Amino acid sequence: MSAPPTTMRLATPRPGEEIDRARSFTFTWNGRTIAAFPGDTIVSALAASGERVLSRSYKYHRPRGVLTASYHDPGCFFQVGDEPNVRGAHRLAEPGMDVHSQDTWPSLRFDVKAVNQLAGRFLGPGFYYKTFIKPQRLWPLYERVLQRFVHAGHVPPDTPRVTVDKRYAHPDVLVAGGGPAGMAAAAAAAAAGASVLLVEEEYRLGGHLRWGGDADLAALRELRELVAGTPGIEVLTNSVVAGRYDGNWIAVVRRGLPGGAEQLIKARARMLVVAPGLIERPYVFAGNDVPGVMLATAARRLINLHAVKPGRRAVVLTANAEGDAAVADLREAGVEIAGVVDARTGGDLVRVHGHRGVRAVEVAGGDTIECDLVVTAVGWTAPTALLNMSGDQPTYDPRAARFFPGALPEDVLATGGIAGDGTRDQLIGHAEAAGREAARRAARQRSQTRAMLPAHANGHGGSWPPADEQPVRLPELPVDPHPELFRASTHGMVDFCEDVSSKDLVTAIGEGYDSIELAKRYTTATMGPTQGKLEVVNAVAIAAQATGRTIGETGTTTWRPPYAPVTLGALAGRPWEPVRYSPMQPWHESHHASPLIAGAWIRPDRYGDPAAEVAAVRTKVAVIDVTPLGKLDLRGPDVPNLLNLLYVNKWSKLEIGRVRYGVMCTEDGVVFDDGVTGRLGPEHYLMSTTSSGAAAVWEWLENWLQTTHPDWAVHVTPVTTAYASMNVAGPASRELLERVTEGVDLANEAFPYMQVRTGRVAGADGCVLWRIGFTGELSYELHVPAGYGLHVWETLMDRGADLGIVPFGVEAQRILRLEKGHFIVGQDTDGLTRGFSAALDWAIKLDKTDFVGKPELAWQNADGGGPRLVGLQPDDGTVVPAEASQIVEGQRIVGRITSSRMSPTLGRSICLAQVEPRLAKPGTQVTVRLPAGRRIPARVCEHLAHFDPDGSRMRV
Amino acid sequence: MQDLCCAGAGEHAHWAAAATGRNAVEPARANGRRTTRPAPRRPPRYSALALVRHGLSGKEWPRAWRDHPLGTSYDVVIVGAGVHGLAAAYYLAANHGITNVAVLDKSYLGGGGSGRSTAILRSNYLTPEGVRFYDRSMELYRTLAADLDYNVMFSRRGHLTLAHNDSSLRTMRWRAEVNKLQGVDSELIGPAEIKRLVPYLDISPDTRYPILGALYHPPGGIIRHDAVNWGYARAADVYGVQIHQGTEVTGIDVADGRVRGVRTNRGDIATPVVLNCTAGWSTLVAAMAGVRLPIQTFPLQAAVTEPVRPFLHSVVVSGTLHVYVSQTDRGELVFGASVDPFASYSTRGSLEFAEGLATHVIELMPALSKMRLLRQWSGLCDMTPDFSPIMGGTGVDGFYVDVGWGTYGFKAGPVSGEAMAECIATGRTPEIIASFGLDRFGEGRLVGEKGAAAVGH
Amino acid sequence: MMLIRCPWCGPRGAAEFHYIGEFKPRPDAQSVTSADWRDYLYVPANPSGPVTETWYHRMGCRRFFNLERDTLTNESRAVGEGIR
Repeated sequence: MSAPPTTMRLATPRPGEEIDRARSFTFTWNGRTIAAFPGDTIVSALAASGERVLSRSYKYHRPRGVLTASYHDPGCFFQVGDEPNVRGAHRLAEPGMDVHSQDTWPSLRFDVKAVNQLAGRFLGPGFYYKTFIKPQRLWPLYERVLQRFVHAGHVPPDTPRVTVDKRYAHPDVLVAGGGPAGMAAAAAAAAAGASVLLVEEEYRLGGHLRWGGDADLAALRELRELVAGTPGIEVLTNSVVAGRYDGNWIAVVRRGLPGGAEQLIKARARMLVVAPGLIERPYVFAGNDVPGVMLATAARRLINLHAVKPGRRAVVLTANAEGDAAVADLREAGVEIAGVVDARTGGDLVRVHGHRGVRAVEVAGGDTIECDLVVTAVGWTAPTALLNMSGDQPTYDPRAARFFPGALPEDVLATGGIAGDGTRDQLIGHAEAAGREAARRAARQRSQTRAMLPAHANGHGGSWPPADEQPVRLPELPVDPHPELFRASTHGMVDFCEDVSSKDLVTAIGEGYDSIELAKRYTTATMGPTQGKLEVVNAVAIAAQATGRTIGETGTTTWRPPYAPVTLGALAGRPWEPVRYSPMQPWHESHHASPLIAGAWIRPDRYGDPAAEVAAVRTKVAVIDVTPLGKLDLRGPDVPNLLNLLYVNKWSKLEIGRVRYGVMCTEDGVVFDDGVTGRLGPEHYLMSTTSSGAAAVWEWLENWLQTTHPDWAVHVTPVTTAYASMNVAGPASRELLERVTEGVDLANEAFPYMQVRTGRVAGADGCVLWRIGFTGELSYELHVPAGYGLHVWETLMDRGADLGIVPFGVEAQRILRLEKGHFIVGQDTDGLTRGFSAALDWAIKLDKTDFVGKPELAWQNADGGGPRLVGLQPDDGTVVPAEASQIVEGQRIVGRITSSRMSPTLGRSICLAQVEPRLAKPGTQVTVRLPAGRRIPARVCEHLAHFDPDGSRMRV
Repeated sequence: MQDLCCAGAGEHAHWAAAATGRNAVEPARANGRRTTRPAPRRPPRYSALALVRHGLSGKEWPRAWRDHPLGTSYDVVIVGAGVHGLAAAYYLAANHGITNVAVLDKSYLGGGGSGRSTAILRSNYLTPEGVRFYDRSMELYRTLAADLDYNVMFSRRGHLTLAHNDSSLRTMRWRAEVNKLQGVDSELIGPAEIKRLVPYLDISPDTRYPILGALYHPPGGIIRHDAVNWGYARAADVYGVQIHQGTEVTGIDVADGRVRGVRTNRGDIATPVVLNCTAGWSTLVAAMAGVRLPIQTFPLQAAVTEPVRPFLHSVVVSGTLHVYVSQTDRGELVFGASVDPFASYSTRGSLEFAEGLATHVIELMPALSKMRLLRQWSGLCDMTPDFSPIMGGTGVDGFYVDVGWGTYGFKAGPVSGEAMAECIATGRTPEIIASFGLDRFGEGRLVGEKGAAAVGH
Repeated sequence: MMLIRCPWCGPRGAAEFHYIGEFKPRPDAQSVTSADWRDYLYVPANPSGPVTETWYHRMGCRRFFNLERDTLTNESRAVGEGIR
């Protein structure tokens, strides 16, 4: 069981290595044991073990190995346990990890789908658009074939959910990137008094200094000490700035939590300093994706961070200092240098030979050199994503062969390699200036924000320095010339993830997909997991060449958030879905109520048999918890004006102690809400609304008061949850209430129907009682201060036991109200139902001067348009049509059933329906189409109410 | 002429056949619709055999659509080279023989809403007129690949709209019943069958908003939206329709109440007919002709994950949770939600969208928490007061609109193109779009689609 | 997320607010024609650029106010307190 010997690990430690040789462990790779040290990434450990082929590519299943040795390495996506698409060149190896290559069968070595490569010349870009067209009925089969090509990990259906709370941050300065520039900027900003959040994608600060030479390592130590020693800097490593949104709202994702979980940090940064460095770009040539071809930064990382020899015999194509340094590092690591091709003096590569690994490389000029490693250093891509997201359009400089920031908004600065070149000291000097300027602008924003607030005594303490008026001048950074090297004389891979070659791009452009956007979509280049970071500039350069335009004219595709992929779990965080319960909920639960989810509320739907509950209401006494009912306390001399404006009926003369039903419409005449409002005192009213409309009606009232009638003296206080509400209904309800109420004369003459009183119920003061008739029986709706709700409820249950009291739920209430023909807004009406289509002719007072909805209602009245709400009964009373069953004439729809139930009281089915006006006359026969297809006759009733249409039972 | 690549004797024979009048494009179907007219030129047919031939010979494919200099006059100018504009151009030529047509786009072909769509096709709408309309589009989509000789990859997956409360369930029933009466396959199904169709869904009663049922629409599915745009462009090009990208309309000349021409950044064009197919910017273009539209622009965001092995074979929509999801053949999950809560012309996207989306997707399918979001984007939507489009003539003679497409425009591309082509060619508004006229707002006759059109594409 | 400048609370994240819509003066409901009324109800200005609109600070001071916002850049500045 011992691990196989590591063949490529350097015995002599490297000065900047990040592995801990004192401890070692193992993990499995496709079932085989691999040795590793703490600090190894999965890939560095595999490379140390001599593994070269790490994956297979998407379309052609070509063998792939290390290319960049960074987070974005396209050849290094693995399945780790239940986590798909893990970035193996970034993820640290851990003891016992179970790592697998993705989508290779039967094995990575002998992948059956590699046969696709033979078909390559036929499977050009977009080949699927040109085929599988006929016969069309075979498309589902073709699709299943295409789906087999999906190159990715899998999602086990029982993947456990890991919840990580999100976090907020409010730094003065957020620095994106912890390389030398980022560290210097962060320290300078903090020294100038700013609170700083420094975010670095790798596990340690340092950027490219980490794999640099001795001078780099010395600078690294100094900068790390500076950051550690400067107060006011929060450092997040293994974290990435995923996006910059409007107002410098910045998404930071902290990685590396247990189980592959991530944390989302939402930062409102006053200033954003973008210091992401530069990403090394691959070179496009034949065989550039064969395992053993890698970037200079990849070779240097493997050697200097992990003490791993990337190969035994190397050819290096170099066009810059990084390439030169790679040659030196390779020599130090004992790699034989078989050739150094200098692109600055015209050298070039032509093609690599080898399939599962580099065997030789053909150099321009004719030589073919045997080797197992080809290292390229052909230039840099500026990761301008955050700048794009800040609204900037970076511009291309052909002299430097890369893009530079353009015009940045006031709250964003750029520094480091993305801003220019120069010596280490020059870059650090620029970064320090950027940090100081960022701190200055953040301070200025603070005072500007304070100035926006209404003047008040500002007792702020703290030692915030006054905002400096003089901007810090950022020194000019030189821009070093760099040869433009994108593609050699041969064609090679451009998008490694998507298996798109330069030939594919040229072909696509030739077929008319000749802008970068069309070429991207047609070939899918830049649409894979790297989202353009490694491939967009090459793609643009190739497109430019193929269309005879410059890179600047061609433009790039749009960088979109997130900059790096973020797990859905991090974005979701902890579920925060508040649930509302009434104070009587414990009683409902212990009495086996079935819960009904009504928006944010949980309500009792039924306690047993709703029909029995209905019977109890009609014959004895029962009580329902209606706490979710919207309630608004209105005070002031102008309340009647408000009621007149918002309700369709008249409210000027509502006496103290009276209650009236009201309906509200919106300005298009559509029924919006209904409820009752009672007058409790000279300037004191209580308005009820539907439970689902409570918040909307409150906002509606405030809107009209604040924007149209600030001259009216009205105070609105929402009291929906201040009161526990319950409806005591049934012939015996008065008798029950008399037993528990003090201070209110409950006799019918003293307290008639549609009136309101306040008093003490079950010892609780401040209860509001009103007599209304939603259920159609003698009933009292009690609004009890919420703290006493459960007590009052229990008292009623106790004192009403001999009267046969039972609780009733929402389902029973629906039946009761339907028996009485009371419509429910949003069920019997919809988004287009104007007032006269809800049988509200009696309520709409068009002779009022003005009210919301009046113009449209007046026109509806005049032209008689819109459907009508009617009571309906199927001829066969045993058939209960499903709600939303259609009312038809032949195949034409002329209406629908909006409410439907079996009535226990009448022993037959009853409905409400919306029908065309010509069918609304009582006695009209209509045809209802049941969902199963059967059609039944039904008749329009005289009234909406199927039971006690005169309403006499409520008035006793 | 040099763009036309005739690879071999086979193609020449086709040319000859076309020249003698033999119908070179797919003949009319048996439903009595208008016969498509013979195309004047015939590019090489796409097929597996053609792929093999090209692969063996190494010969290049010809351009899918030609590049023309901008003319100074056309019979019809269509503003907007998205699916609506391109479809209208195609049907004008194929159904009505009107080929002196220019389609102008300020950006690249299909760069507006058509390129950002999550491309869900369905016809399970709420109103009879809506159902008829979208179902005609489905009918056209079903044979579109063969008609256009371009694989548009219409994947009929089955479409589920989940209901999490009574009210929603009732609306689903309403839609199902209306659909059935129009002959469209929709039915209400319960949690057990939902689970069978989508095993990754959490149907337990313990979730915050348990699934009570769903509207199941088997004919619904997804399509490769770019391919539809390209297919129509290529097919329209065959008839001589000109597509001009990078050509921005800067003004519309109206005199005596009728259209005279358009002004662009590349020159002026005389034309008696302008068709506005610029949903997302439609009020800005309409204003150039002096026409006001009841449309407000809102961003609609979407996002995609990294690919994983296919596991989701239906389109799943939840109105209550404001989210919908499907999985492409490439393995990526595509998500969408409702429009942003305020009007804007920004397509920069927001973090709140991604957060809300992730929250609700994981609520529906808890196993997805480790999947990674790869990219988010947004498009601009024409929101109308009644969640239905605005199609037909306007108060300005010759100025037509095909706008107001809200969040449901892509699925209607074919039927809209067909109807607007007929409208322009005959001067009469076809019955199928009669309910969508601009004048309905002034007359208070709004269409009742609000329940079915918003979230849920 | 974009910031909305509440006249009482200063700049706050847009999620605290409820967007009411473009500010349009309400016609006199007594005398308006149906065409003008429906124009008021349904036809917004919808510019790509500055527009005056009404917002409600739902999760804050609960005041309605008008704001001028650029619909393309989403930057806003105060117009005045919410009076029609």
